[in-house]
This record gives sequence, structure tokens and C-alpha cells, in this order.
Amino acid sequence: MTMIEVSDMKKTYGSVDVLQKVRFTVEPGEVVAVIGPSGSGKSTMLRSLIHLEEIDGGSIRIGGESLVEDGRYAAPSVIRQITSRMGMVFQHFNLFPHLTVQQNLELAPKMVKRENAALIRSRSTELLAKVGLADKAGAHPAKLSGGQKQRVAIARALMMSPDILLFDEPTSALDPELTGEVLQVIKQLASEKITMVIVTHEMNFARDVADRVIFMDNGEIAESGTPEQIFGNPQLERTRAFLKL
Amino acid sequence: MSLDYLMDIARPMLEGAQTTIILFLIAILLSIPLGYCITLLANSSIRILSWLAHTFIYVIRGTPLLLQLLFFCFGLPMLPVIGEYLVMDRFMAACLGFVINYAAYFAEIFRGGLLSIDKGQHEAAKVLGLNKWQTMRKVILPQMTRVALPAMANESITLVKDTALLYAVAVPELLHYAQTAVNRDFTIMPFVVAGVIYLLMTLVLTLFFKALERRFKYE
Ligand SMILES: Nc1ncnc2c1ncn2[C@@H]1O[C@H](COP(=O)(O)OP(=O)(O)OP(=O)(O)O)[C@@H](O)[C@H]1O
Ligand SMILES: [Mg+2]
Repeated sequence: MTMIEVSDMKKTYGSVDVLQKVRFTVEPGEVVAVIGPSGSGKSTMLRSLIHLEEIDGGSIRIGGESLVEDGRYAAPSVIRQITSRMGMVFQHFNLFPHLTVQQNLELAPKMVKRENAALIRSRSTELLAKVGLADKAGAHPAKLSGGQKQRVAIARALMMSPDILLFDEPTSALDPELTGEVLQVIKQLASEKITMVIVTHEMNFARDVADRVIFMDNGEIAESGTPEQIFGNPQLERTRAFLKL
Repeated sequence: MSLDYLMDIARPMLEGAQTTIILFLIAILLSIPLGYCITLLANSSIRILSWLAHTFIYVIRGTPLLLQLLFFCFGLPMLPVIGEYLVMDRFMAACLGFVINYAAYFAEIFRGGLLSIDKGQHEAAKVLGLNKWQTMRKVILPQMTRVALPAMANESITLVKDTALLYAVAVPELLHYAQTAVNRDFTIMPFVVAGVIYLLMTLVLTLFFKALERRFKYE
């Protein structure tokens, strides 16, 4: 079954069309990189998938279930249930500063899933080890580097066992020497066949990790294809211009 | 100026200080939660509720506390029809006035705290599946309280000093007994003693809030 199905997605702010006729699909286990110039609508598209923005027309289906169909949104309880299958990682981490790293991971499972505390603890410990931060469990986010914060944010998203992970420029707020550790974790997730949509400015990373690359420009998908096609032999002049080929 | 004399005037003044402290405790313990509620109303998406909360804050902050106290102590019973049911003990009426006045100030402080919280916090909570109430309780309120603490400390110290306004509605408290002793004995010593007692109270508060701020500091 198709994981993400978007058709005719349309979004306007005032009189400006920031998304128009966006259509694409993502298969289970696929990693899709979204690239494009600033203001082309990448964030808006991604945020719409998880209902941080509402679109003004078109359809979004997640795992076959309709979040919005022809511009009509599902009931709030259905929306909650559909979006609970996705996790999101933000450019600025958005960790909860008043909680320790481990509490950051455990808050949602405790509040939302009401799972057994021991179970939650063992999973958070395991995930912190997985992102290489086992020793930071008791630290507050203020004590971490940007790269560490972002790895915590990824672990926090994974705590809810999402089918799909969305990333909005996960390394753009990091010092260059810290991007590697975050990209490494994402690569690891890719190898585990988690479905991912990653908005990124890191072209080498996109080429490396993505099964498919979507190039957005001016609120629409200008071109999409395998990394080899997009980076090696782009069809459109504006794709070439963006990639400075 | 003998120690005996000091003890003599201090006794009624400490009794007066009791009234001051009771008023302070009632006012602070009720106005903070009420202030939280008014902040939530002010941020409500229901227009009329938000308008009411803002108007309330505006009216209370825009008029003197003394006027409000006089209104609650002497004005309420003069209202037509319902007035006769609103006759209450003057101390209670004054407490009511203080609670309402300070709730408005605390509401304004909390509103500022709320505005200071990045919208990314709401978004992170939302994508993790927390509902509005859980987000408020577990994510927003703790952060907002930390931001609001210094201003709350200020406001609490002001409250200690404002309790002296009880003097104006003739409820005997610390300042009242000091004034009586000054008139009787022709010495300013009672004022000095009163000042020291106020200072002690504000000192305890300052230390209390310092400790609280340390506890809320997360790193
Ligand atoms: N809340 C908003 N109100 C009005 N316009 C907005 C709003 N959010 C985004 N826009 C506009 O929508 C367009 C797309 O923005 P979006 O953030 O999706 O672009 P982006 O591709 O993510 O850019 P970047 O690479 O800079 O992150 C931009 O022109 C932006 O100015
Ligand atoms: Mg963006």
C-alpha cells in the first residue's frame, strides 16, 4: 500500500499561491529528498502532511487513509489518528527545555499512549544508545550541542514508533562540523527501511541517502526522479540553474 | 528608649502584622490561580471570552487599587437591589478587592510569559500527539512559570506593601497600630518598628522566590 499519496495539493496565503497542483507518492520504506530554492514551498508541503498547515485544495492520503479529500478535512479524531502515524523533526529541534533528554523522549509515550513506565524507560534507553547519547539521558537540552539536540529530537520522534518520519532541514541550524553525526543517524534509519521525507539543502546527502529526489520551484514540483537523474541529468533548465550545473 | 517600651509597642503591631500576613496569603493564593484562568480566557479563541478578560484586565489595571478597595468595602452594599446581599465583613471585602486586583496583574504577567514561548514548542507537542490540554500542562505552563517568576516576585513584594491600604478602609493592621502608638507616645519609633517588620516580610519573600527560581532553572 502507498504510504503517502498527495494529489492537486493547493495552498494560498492571501492571494499568493504557495503550493499548486503538487502531486507525488511515497512507497513504504522509500526515502524521498525534497530540494529547491528558498520560498519554493518545501516546508509548507511537508508541514501540510502532518497537519501543521491546512491546505486549501487537493487530497492527502496516509497509508490509504484520507487526511483531506478534495480540500475537505476528515473529522478531528480521524486527523489525530492519521497524523499519529507520522513523526517530525524540525530545523530548530524544538526540544522541551524544561525536561531532561530522557523526559523529552518519554513525555509523549506517557501522556498519549499511556504505556507501561518500565517499557517506556527501556525503549528510551535503547533509542538514546542508538543515537549515541546514552550518557546524556539526565542532561537538559541547554547543555547539548546542536548535533546532539537534533539526535535527541530524532530519538523523541522514534519513541512514538511512526511509520513515516518527516524532516524539515534537519541540519540547517547546525555548525558544518556537526551535520555529519545527524546525517549518519538518518542514514542508519534509511537502512532500516523507515519511510522518510527529507527537506534538505545537503545535496551530497540527498544523493547518498534518497531513493528519489523531488525538486520544487515556485510552489510546484518541477522535476522528480532518482538521484542519478536529478543530479546527473536534470531535464529542466531551472533544475540545472538551482544545482549550478 | 527602653527595651520594655519596644516590647510594649511591638506586641499590638505583631498582632496587626498577623492581619497583614493573612491578607497577603489569601490574596496571593487565590489571585495566582485566578490570574492563570484569566490568561487562558484572554487567549481563548472564543471572541467574547477573550474580550471580557482583556476588558477586565484593562479596567482593573487602569484604576487605583484604593478606589477598588473602597468600592468593595463601602460601594457594594449601596448597589440597588443586590446591594443588601453584598454586605460583608470589611476584611473579607478588602480580601476580595485584593484578589481581583492582583489576579489582573498576574494575568498580565502570565500573558507575557505565554507570548515568550516559541511556537515550535506547540508544534513539537502537536506532532507528538499531545492534545491542547496536555500541551498546556506539560509543555507550556512550566516554561511560562519560569519566565514569569521574576515578575511574580516583584508583584508579591508590592502586595506586602499594598496591604497597608487596609488602613484606609479602617481594618486594623500593622500600620494602624504603629500610627496609634506614634500619636499616643509622640515618638517615631513605632514607624521604625513597622518598617522593620515589613522589611522582614519582604526579605522572606525574596529568599523564597530566589529558591523557587533556582528550582525552575533547567540546565
Ligand atoms: N504564514 C505565512 N504567511 C504568509 N506567507 C507564508 C507563510 N508561510 C510561508 N509563506 C510563504 O510561502 C512560501 C513558501 O514558504 P516555505 O517556507 O514553504 O518555503 P521553503 O521552500 O520551505 O523555503 P526555505 O528553503 O527558505 O525554508 C514563501 O513565499 C513564504 O513567504
Ligand atoms: Mg523551509
